[in-house]
Amino acid sequence: MSIFLLDSIVVMFFVETVLLLLMGTSMFAVAKILKYWNFDASTTLQYALEKKNYLVNTIILFTIGVKIILFVFFVKSLDDLAPLVPGAMCATGVIGANKFGNTLLIYKIFTLFLLGVWVVINRLDLKTKKFDYLRKKYYLFIVIFALLGIEFALELLYFTNIPLNTPVFCCSVVFVVENLPFGLETVDLVKIFYLLFVSILVVDYFNKASLSFVLNILFLLLAYYCVTYFFGTYVYEEPNHKCPFCMLQKEYHYIGYLIWSTLFLGTYFGISPHIIYSLIGKKYQRLLRYNALFLTLFVAICSYYVISFYLRNGVFL
Amino acid sequence: MKPKIAIEHLYKIYNEGKESEFAALKDITLSVGADEIIILKGVSGSGKSTLLSLMAAFSKPSRGTILIDGENISKLPDIFASKFRNKEIGFIFQSFNLIEGLSVSENVRIPLVLEPLEKKEIDQKVEKALQLANIAHKSQQNIADLSGGEKQRCAIARALVNNPSIIFADEPTANLDKENSLKFIEVLEKFKTLKKCVVVATHDSLFDDLPFVSQYINITDGELVL
Repeated sequence: MSIFLLDSIVVMFFVETVLLLLMGTSMFAVAKILKYWNFDASTTLQYALEKKNYLVNTIILFTIGVKIILFVFFVKSLDDLAPLVPGAMCATGVIGANKFGNTLLIYKIFTLFLLGVWVVINRLDLKTKKFDYLRKKYYLFIVIFALLGIEFALELLYFTNIPLNTPVFCCSVVFVVENLPFGLETVDLVKIFYLLFVSILVVDYFNKASLSFVLNILFLLLAYYCVTYFFGTYVYEEPNHKCPFCMLQKEYHYIGYLIWSTLFLGTYFGISPHIIYSLIGKKYQRLLRYNALFLTLFVAICSYYVISFYLRNGVFL
Repeated sequence: MKPKIAIEHLYKIYNEGKESEFAALKDITLSVGADEIIILKGVSGSGKSTLLSLMAAFSKPSRGTILIDGENISKLPDIFASKFRNKEIGFIFQSFNLIEGLSVSENVRIPLVLEPLEKKEIDQKVEKALQLANIAHKSQQNIADLSGGEKQRCAIARALVNNPSIIFADEPTANLDKENSLKFIEVLEKFKTLKKCVVVATHDSLFDDLPFVSQYINITDGELVL
């Protein structure tokens, strides 16, 4: 059982189980709130439900906070597993060790985005006098809870199926062929990357949430390829070292955590206003300013490595 | 005329449905006018303080409504309840609830900390409240160095500093000697001239038959005795 390869994985599963239990318990209260909620009533039941609402909110916010920390922990655990999985040099080998790994990683990022949307809707709900978004907030939570259940199952499948006898591919093999989208060349990809970034800044300035949603999704996709196939090579200072995970390691001062977190946070703030508007009909464009802030930080860090390399060596890789 | 405070069929029941169920308030219905002073009378444990805490939106009832200026404050979400308290309510606690280590002036300033006001404006409001409560001469003194009566005057100043429309006082003379208790009654009369709505919960007989009091309401075992 590869679950027991590392203490951290056992701890992660334990915490995940506790969180699921907490959320599962909250679901009873959520179901009762959804069934009987009538804010205009001054009955014993309604007052009790209002108290429960605060309790459930607190539990959910706590679980979301822990889930965010657990995600970082998950990525760190993948990296720590590398020496134990034959052939793996970093998390690339570990995540690609079976068919569930990459799906799990993308799935986790997706659920984190959804949890983030829930946090904002909850915040907006608590700002209204009559809990205007309460029902939609809890319907979304039911969906998230189901998704988290699937995530847990996927995680179990992934960690119990990491082969310890069969060698896996390391990043130098996985990313050796530049598998860029739309058959683009790296140079074109980087040009589009900067163009998209500037477009997002302009769109954010004019508070266009739906356009920002589209551009940010495109940017997220493009940024992944750019970091892996272009900016990463400047972080490693090796033209053939193409990997999205190695930069999470100590040798590179854990800069990968900063790079990926600014990208994910920036994108989250960019796509959320449109999703929130679609779900509850409320405009919350102020998040776009954080979109601009975090993506600028992301682009600045990535560009720094390229400029710094050029200034020191007088050439590009 | 619309009452300032209108309470309808209010209940506060602890451990409802359990063996240890206890009804602190039962079917309370009353109303208070905008510039009325009312005295809630009753022995310890009769439910006076519970009623005050519900009216001040410190806690939520089990049933019933509390309308203040027509708004049901018992339904306010926490964030709005806090804003309501800060804007509309001045509360004088039995044991004053002042922060020792801070001066009189600093204690009085606390309700204004979250207000978007200039320092000069805050200073003016604090000074005015200190004057009204006759404690301006001790403004720089530490709370720990004050007598019981002075502490209470500081608590009164703090309750007045936001210029609230309603003032609640819970057993305001419980920790005072007779002289200071009579001084508080003088302050109470001053509230009348300031056109404040005042609700005092007390079992002190000094409050009996005061000419400026609009209503005396007796509470026994959580019920109004008419």
